[in-house]
Parts: sequence; structure tokens; C-alpha cells
Amino acid sequence: MTVRVMVVDDHPMWREGVARDLGERGLDVVATAGDGAAAARIAPAVRPDVVVMDLQMPHLDGAGATAAILEVLPDTRVLVLSASAEQGDVLGAVRAGAAGYLVKSAQVSELVDAVERTAAGQAVFGPELAGLVLGEFRRREREGGTGGPELTARETEVLRFVAKGMTARRIADRLGLSHRTVENHVQNVLRKLQLANRVELTRYAIEQGLDADT
Amino acid sequence: MSIPDTSGTVPVARRRRGATVDVHAALLPLWRGLVVFRVVALLYAVVNVVRDVGLYARPALGIAVLVLMALWTLVTSVAYLRGADRRLTVVDLVLTVLATTSTLVVDDPARIGAGGPVITTVWSAGAVLAIAVAYGIRPAIGAVAVSVGALWFTRRALDAALLSDAQLLLVAGVAVGFASVAMRRSAQRLQEAIATEAAAAERDRLARDIHDGVLQILALVRRRGPQLGDPELVRAAAEQEVSLRRLITRGPIGLDGPDDEPVDLGAALGAALPARAVLAVPPDPVCVPGGLARSLLAVVREAAANADAHAGEDTGLWVLLEDEADTVTISVRDDGPGIPSGRLAEAADQGHLGVASSIRGRVAELGGTAELVTAPGDGVEWELRVPRQQREGAR
Repeated sequence: MTVRVMVVDDHPMWREGVARDLGERGLDVVATAGDGAAAARIAPAVRPDVVVMDLQMPHLDGAGATAAILEVLPDTRVLVLSASAEQGDVLGAVRAGAAGYLVKSAQVSELVDAVERTAAGQAVFGPELAGLVLGEFRRREREGGTGGPELTARETEVLRFVAKGMTARRIADRLGLSHRTVENHVQNVLRKLQLANRVELTRYAIEQGLDADT
Repeated sequence: MSIPDTSGTVPVARRRRGATVDVHAALLPLWRGLVVFRVVALLYAVVNVVRDVGLYARPALGIAVLVLMALWTLVTSVAYLRGADRRLTVVDLVLTVLATTSTLVVDDPARIGAGGPVITTVWSAGAVLAIAVAYGIRPAIGAVAVSVGALWFTRRALDAALLSDAQLLLVAGVAVGFASVAMRRSAQRLQEAIATEAAAAERDRLARDIHDGVLQILALVRRRGPQLGDPELVRAAAEQEVSLRRLITRGPIGLDGPDDEPVDLGAALGAALPARAVLAVPPDPVCVPGGLARSLLAVVREAAANADAHAGEDTGLWVLLEDEADTVTISVRDDGPGIPSGRLAEAADQGHLGVASSIRGRVAELGGTAELVTAPGDGVEWELRVPRQQREGAR
């Protein structure tokens, strides 16, 4: 079954280039959108398997669009493809539920591979993102137990190896684990980050009394 | 007490702009208070005149002065609330003095001599307070002097009543003048802070937009590289893309400052590492003293150069920066052939101290530890762990 992809980017040259590259490699590009708001409108109609999402866009940025799309289509997976690597934005999109992150200068083959892995339910999780996520959990720890989920010692270990550029295969060898187990650890880390985000939002809502009418 | 004068540090244009609209808005509460005082004082004067009008030498003139006072109250109230030119307060004071001294012709000299009230009563304080709001403390004191002088000129008696009036006027004038100066200053500071922030935000937005566009093109060149057939151009574009991306992501570095000036280690690493290195950093800046940052960068450069020398410049190079409560950790890893076990010990035994001990020694000087993990075919990894704050005297 071919993977249904939606490409969201405000630069027309990129949008069309990425769509063409993916199409030529046998993926089914079902829609494109030029900003986050348009993406959130179009996505429910075309129900893509994977959304390839830029971060800095007018109207609604990548993080906002990710949250909006996943709200309606929980089974769709979002792969962030960003040029600027603006760290706050990357982390924001991942916290909002994005399943992976790739720098725009990645080769076409890397992009296709990343889209296919994302569709297969894997987390496309490079060293830069691993460093950000690791730092984010450390910050939470420093600020003294925000009540959200914490990483296990093994998860931290795996995350550090990813941040040092090691492949899952190599990490598995080093730790004497199966490749599958390493993948699971990585995905758990992402899930915990997204869960922590939800815990934080809920706490914020309670503190602000926004839940008063529920 | 003195209030620091900011006029020397603030550009004139910005002060001017702040002084037109926003200062009036900042002083509006004082003007409102003044208007309320004036109206109440006018009612008191009316009661006073109505009670005494039968005793006046020229009752009709007394009524006329009262009507003029009422009209003037109306005019100044509207004008002050609308932010009229502050020179109006000087006209206000002159007219008030005239109204006060008109008592001389309106009232019976015998009554005045016996200590009877002037026709303006407490209403005359309004003009003094207006000067205080408009001009501040010193002009307010001047206005008090003028006002008290007019009272003395009218009543020709330096009695307890006059001194008491003078004291009350002085206290009120200085207090309101002080409030006015303080409110004006804070309004100006707020205005300046808003302007600075807006300028910075605009600059950021511009920088992001421009850089974003340039990055897109550089990334496109890099991505289309194989089809372009000019490897030199593609390599140059790739390097520029990485360094521009690092610059935007982390901002400027400022490594040239004094040893104790904080430096973002993430930004410094981004600038120091070759473009092919993949750099992983935490989301927030990792600030350490500049001296420590420089020493660490030198060690990281040595480790990276060593990787180049032994594994070649085509091998992967990864650098991870971690920020823990008391320590920072920098890991430098390559995926080259690695070092066979025993080689290092062998080299040390033969008296070749080499790179490894140099790195260990430099990190130890910083009060930290350097751990080497390597195996044949498994690359070389350095883990440098140093305390954030250097111990006193450790150099």
C-alpha cells in the first residue's frame, strides 16, 4: 500500500520540489498546503498517512498546525522538515505530537526513507532532536519535578547514544539489547515528552481556573 | 533625595516623542484630581461669597469675579484634561492672582483688615497645583511664593493665618510636583522600554525572514548537489548553510569578553566546529564563564583535530553538549577505525604523552574528567565532564 503524504511549506519552490521528489520515489502526494492554517483545513479531507511539515509559516506555524491536525486525525503522523532548526520551534512541534524531525538539507533518499519510516510508526530521531529532548527532560528535572513523566535510566542512556550520532543497530550492540527494544525506548521518550506537555497544559489550565466550567 | 537625571543617556528624539502623547496620559490622574479639587473649591468660594455678599463694598463686582472664576474653572478643566499646552498654567496663575487681589476693591477695607477671607479662598491653590503637575517641584515652589505674595499684598498682614496658608500650599505644591516628576519619568522609561523591545522584535523578525530565505536556497543547492555537477559549489553551500543555521539558532557568541563574562557554550561550539560535525545541544543556552568556555573549546578542537588526523576528514563527527545542575558534559565522537586496546598505554610507556594525555591534563586543570571510549572499528569517543564553576584559584 502506498504511503499518502501531504506536504506543507510556505516556499512554493520547496513545496513543489519535495512533492515531486516524493512522487517520483513512489509515494502518493495527496495534497500540498502553503501555510499551517490551510494545512489544518485540508488535512481532514485528504486524510494523509504522513504530513511533511515546515515550521516557520504564516497564519499558523508548524507546531500549531501539528496540534490542529493531530486533534482531528490522531492516526496521521507528522514529520517536521525544517531549514532553520530553530530549536524552540522544533521542540514545540515535537511536543505538539510530531513524530520526527529532519533538516531540509537532507538528501532526497534520506527524506524518502524518513517518510517511509514515519509511516511505519518509527520515530525519525536524529542527534540534534535527541540533544534537544534530553536537554528538555534535564531542565524539567532541574526545575524540580513538574509532575510529568520522567525518563528511566535506560531511556536516558539510549537518548544520549542517539544524540552522539549512533544508529539504533549500534546502540543495540553496545547495550546488548535487540534493535526492536532500542526503537521502543526511543518512541517511549517521544511519548513521554508529549505526555509531559499535556500534563503541563492541564496544570496550567487548572492554575488559571480555565477548567472552572467543566 | 535626588532623582537620577536620565536626560544624558536618552536620545533626544525618543524623549520628545515620549513627551507629547504618553506623558499627558501618564499625568492624567493628577489632572483629574486637580479638576475635582477646583470644582469643590469653587463651591466653597460660592458659599463664602453668597454668605458675605451683603457686607461687600461692591457686591456686583464680587458676583462678577465669582462668575469669572466659575468660567475659568470650566475652561481650565476642559483644557487640562485634553492635554493643553502647559503654559496655560502660567496664565492660570496670573488670573488667579488677579482674582485674589480683586478682594481689595470688592470687599470692605475694614473687613479685610480684620482678617476676613479673600474672595478666591482655597480656590486659588488650584493654579499652584496646576503648575506643580505641569512643571514639577521648583516651579511649584515659585508659584507658591507668587500666590502667598498675592495673599500678603491683599491682606497686608503677616499673621498666623497667612503662614498656615503658605505652609499648606508649599506642602501640597511640592507633593504634587514630586508625584508629577515621578510619573513623568516612569512613563518615559516605559515608553523607551516598549520602543526598544519593538525594535528588537522587528530586527529579529527581519533577520529570521531573511535568513530563512537564504537558508532555503543554500539547502536547496546542497540537496540538488549531485545534479549540479559542481562539487566545490555544493560543498561551499553546505558549509555556509550549516554555519548560518548555527548562527540563527544560537545567536552571536561573544567569546572575546573577560574570563568571567558568561558565554553560551552551545553557540561557541557551533562556531568552532567544522561544518560536517553534527552538533546536539539542549534547547536553552548553556552559559558558562568565558574563560571556561575558551578552555573547553580548545580541548574540543584538539579532540576533533585528532579525529580528523586518525579517522580522516570524511568520517562522521558528532558533538553532544549536556547541561546538568553542576556540570557540563561535552562528548566528541567519530566513527572512524578506533584505537586498538593497549595502543594508548603502549605510547605512554614509551614516553610519548600524545593527544590523549594532553586532553586529560587540560580537562583536569579545569577540575573535570576526560573519559575515552574506543575499540577497533568502533570509533573514538571522548566524554569531557567539567564543573560549571571553576574552583577558586584553579586556573
